[in-house]
Amino acid sequence: MMNADEVTAVSAASTGAQPTAGPLLKVVGVSKSFGATRALRSCSFELWPGEVHAVVGENGSGKSTLVKILSGVHRPDGGEIMLAGQPAPDRPSPRAAQRTGIVTVFQEVLVVGPRSVVENVWLGVDGMFRLQVQPAEKRRRAREALGDLLGSAPSLDVPAEALSLSDQQACCIARALVRSPRVLILDESTSALDVATRDRLFAIVRRLCAEGTAVIFISHRMDEIAELADRVTVLRSGESVATLPRREATTDVLVRHMTGHAHLTEGVEKVPRAARVRGQVLLRTEDVRLRPGGRPVQFELHAGEMVGLAGLEGHGQDAFLQALRGAGACTGRVLSTDGVALSSPDRAKTAGVAYVPRDRRAESLFSVLSIAENFAVPTLRADRRAGLVDWGHAARRLGDYAERLRIRLAHPRQPITVLSGGNQQKVILARWLAAAPRVLLLNDPTRGVDLGAKRDLYRLLEQLTGEGVGVVMLSTEVDEHVELMDRVLVFREGSVSAELAREQLDRASLIAAFFGGPDGSEESDHV
Amino acid sequence: MSELLAQVRRWPWGFAAVVAIALLVANVIARASFATPSSWPSTLADFAPFAIAAMATTPAVLSGGGSVDISIGPLLNLVSIIIVGVLIPHGLGSFWVAVPIALATGAVVGFVNGVLVAVFRYQAVLSTLCALFVLTGIGLAVLSQPASGTTGWLSDLGNSVGPIPGGLILILIPVAVWIALGRTSFLRSLYCVGGDDVASYSAGANVTGVRIVAFTLGGLFAGIAGIAYAAATQSADAGQATQYTLPAIAAVAIGGTSLLGGRGSLLGAIAGAAIMFLIQTLLDSLNVSSNWVQLIYGAILLFAIVLSSVLARPGRPTLAAAEGPVA
Repeated sequence: MMNADEVTAVSAASTGAQPTAGPLLKVVGVSKSFGATRALRSCSFELWPGEVHAVVGENGSGKSTLVKILSGVHRPDGGEIMLAGQPAPDRPSPRAAQRTGIVTVFQEVLVVGPRSVVENVWLGVDGMFRLQVQPAEKRRRAREALGDLLGSAPSLDVPAEALSLSDQQACCIARALVRSPRVLILDESTSALDVATRDRLFAIVRRLCAEGTAVIFISHRMDEIAELADRVTVLRSGESVATLPRREATTDVLVRHMTGHAHLTEGVEKVPRAARVRGQVLLRTEDVRLRPGGRPVQFELHAGEMVGLAGLEGHGQDAFLQALRGAGACTGRVLSTDGVALSSPDRAKTAGVAYVPRDRRAESLFSVLSIAENFAVPTLRADRRAGLVDWGHAARRLGDYAERLRIRLAHPRQPITVLSGGNQQKVILARWLAAAPRVLLLNDPTRGVDLGAKRDLYRLLEQLTGEGVGVVMLSTEVDEHVELMDRVLVFREGSVSAELAREQLDRASLIAAFFGGPDGSEESDHV
Repeated sequence: MSELLAQVRRWPWGFAAVVAIALLVANVIARASFATPSSWPSTLADFAPFAIAAMATTPAVLSGGGSVDISIGPLLNLVSIIIVGVLIPHGLGSFWVAVPIALATGAVVGFVNGVLVAVFRYQAVLSTLCALFVLTGIGLAVLSQPASGTTGWLSDLGNSVGPIPGGLILILIPVAVWIALGRTSFLRSLYCVGGDDVASYSAGANVTGVRIVAFTLGGLFAGIAGIAYAAATQSADAGQATQYTLPAIAAVAIGGTSLLGGRGSLLGAIAGAAIMFLIQTLLDSLNVSSNWVQLIYGAILLFAIVLSSVLARPGRPTLAAAEGPVA
C-alpha cells in the first residue's frame, strides 16, 4: 500500500514538473514459463500517455500471458516492468495492479451473476470492512459510466445475470472506467459487445486518451485496430518482434510479422508427394450450424484425405470437431457413409469414427493405470479369454503399434506416467488405431509433444491416409496445416470463412485468413 | 410460473419462511398450549442452539468455492463443555469471564478453519472434518462423563431475561451482528466472492481475507450457540458433539441458501431451522413416532435442493429466453 501511494505521489510530481518525461509503462524483456511451456520469452514495449497501443499475435503468441502479468494475475519470471519510472509491486495481485492505476477488462465476461449491476461495477473497490466510496456516489458514477457505454443505463438494481452478454461485458468495462485508470487494458473485450456499444466504447477510449490515459488494446479484428490504435506491437512465439505506427501497420505487414520468415518447426518440410486418391465420402454434414443463425458448414470428408481445422481460438473449429464426433451442441446432422446420423459419441464410434481429445490429462489418459491398460481400454474385447482379460495378449497387441509408432517403452505394465508426453500421446493414438477406425478425428494432437514424436505422428498420419483412413485434425500450429493438410477449413465467428487447398497453403495466407483476410471479404459481415 | 420463480429468487428464504409459519399454525392447532406465552421461553431456549448453529454454518457456505464448516456442531458442544464442565465447577462461571472465553474459543477455531481453507487451500469438507474429530476429541478429554450445572445468568438465558425469552435474545445477537456487518462493505464482499470468486479476485477483491472472516464469523456464532446449548440443557455431554452437524447444514439448504455460495441469507438459516424444529414438535404433539422425523427431513431437504439448483442457474440460456424479451 505504501508502495502504491509512493508511486502515485512520485508520478504526480514528475508529471507536474515534466509533462512528457517518458513512457507511462515500460516493459523490458519480460518472460514467463508454465512448467516446460515458455509462454512469454522476451516481451518489450513502451506505452506512452495518451496512446492506444494494440498488441497482436496469433494463438499462443503470449498476449494473454502478457495481459495477466501486467494486471497482476501472474508474476513474471524475468524482465522489468516500470510504471511511470517505478518498478511493479513486489507481490503482484489484481488489487495491487489496480492501486498503481493499471486496470484490465478481460476477455471473459467476469460478472458476479446474482449481485446487482451497481455492485458489479464497484466490485473489489471497497476494503474488507470499510467502504471506499459512498453508496450514493457509487450509483451516480455507475449510472454515468453505463450511460456512456450503453446509451441508456440499465436499472442498477437488477442482478447482472439478467442482462444480455453484451451488457454484462459493459458492466465489466464500466468497472474499469470508474477506477479512472492510468493504463487501461482491453483484452479482446470487444468480442462480447454489440456494435453500437463497441462504437461508444471507442469514443470513450479516445476521450480518455485525450486526458492522458494510455490504452493497451488487444483484438483479433484488424478493422478495430485500424480504427483505434496509434501503434501496434506484434508478438510471435512469446517475443515482441516489432512495434509499428498505425500507418505502417497494414494487415499484410502485420501478418508478415506474426508469421515470421523462419519455420518454427525446423526440419519438417512440405514434402511433395504422390497425389492422393480421394476415395468415397466418409462423412458429410447436413445443415450444421455452430451458432444460432450462423452460416451452415458444408463439409465432406473423403477416404484418404487429411483435412485441417484452423482459426483463432474459440471461433468454432473445436465445436465443429465435436459435431463430427457426435458430441456437438449445434443444429443439423453429421452423416456417415451409410447415411447413419452421428447423434452421439457412441454412434460415431460404432460408425468407425475415432476421436483423440485435446487435453490428454483430463480427457484421455488414465494416469493411475499402466501403459497396456491405457492402450487396451476401448478394445478389451479382443483380449478376452474365457471371460477374463488376458493382459499378455493386450501387451502383445500394443507391441505391434509400439513398433509402428516408435513408442519407446520399457515395459507395458509400467504406469503410463513414466512416459514422456509425446510417447503418452502415441499410446493414446495406438488405443484408437486398434479400433480400426475409418475416420480419425484429432484435436490438437501435437500440443506439448516433442519434435521427434511429432514427426513420428506426421509419418503415421501419412501412412493412415494412404490406407484410406480419413483424417480431420484441429491444430493450433500453423506449420502443421501448411505441411500436412490436403485442405484447411479456416473458422471465423462460428462458420467457415475460408477453405484453402494444398497448393494455396502457406503461413501468410493461412494467418491472413484467421484475421479475416487481406482481401477484406470478412469485414463486410460486420458493417 | 417464471414470475413466481423470479420472486422466489429474489427472496430465497421466503419459501422457507412461509412453510415455517404454516408449521407454526399447525403446531398451535395440534396443541393449543404451544401458543401460550408462558411456554415461549422454554420453546425458544430449545430452539436457540439449533437456530444459531444453522446461522453459524451460513457465512462459510455463502463465501463459496465449496466452503462449508462441518465442525460447527462439535465446536458449540465444546463451548458448552468449557462453560458447564470447566468454568462453572472452577468458580469461573461469571458472565464477564465465561462469555468472552466462549466467544473467543469459537472465533479462534473458526479462524483456524478459515486459514486452512482459504490460505492453504485444503478442501473445506476435509479440513473441517479434521476439526470435527479434533474438537470432539478435546471435548471427550476434558469431560469424560456428562456434567450438569448452571449459574445465574446462564439459567436466565435458558428461561427469561426480564420479560424477554433468553432464547430470543441469543438468536437475535447473530442477527444484530449481521445487520451491523451489512452497514460495512463486508457482507457485499462476502456475497460477491461467494457468487464468483474469479470475477471478484480479478476485480481486486480480497478473496482469501473474506473467506477467513466468514469462517471466523461462523466460529463466533458457534460460540454463541454453545452458550445457548448450555443455557437450554444446563448440562454438557461430550458424546453429543455431532448432533447438530448435519441438521445445521440441512437447515441452511432448506432456508434457500445455495451450497455453491453467493446466494442466501442468515434469515433463511433461521427459517430452515424453524421448519425442522417445528416438524419435530408437531410430530411430538401428534404422538407420531419420532422415527418418522428423519424421513420427513430427508424429503424436505430433497425438495429444497431441487429448488436451490433451479435457482442457482437462472442464466442458462434457452431458445425461448433468447428470442423473448429479457425479463
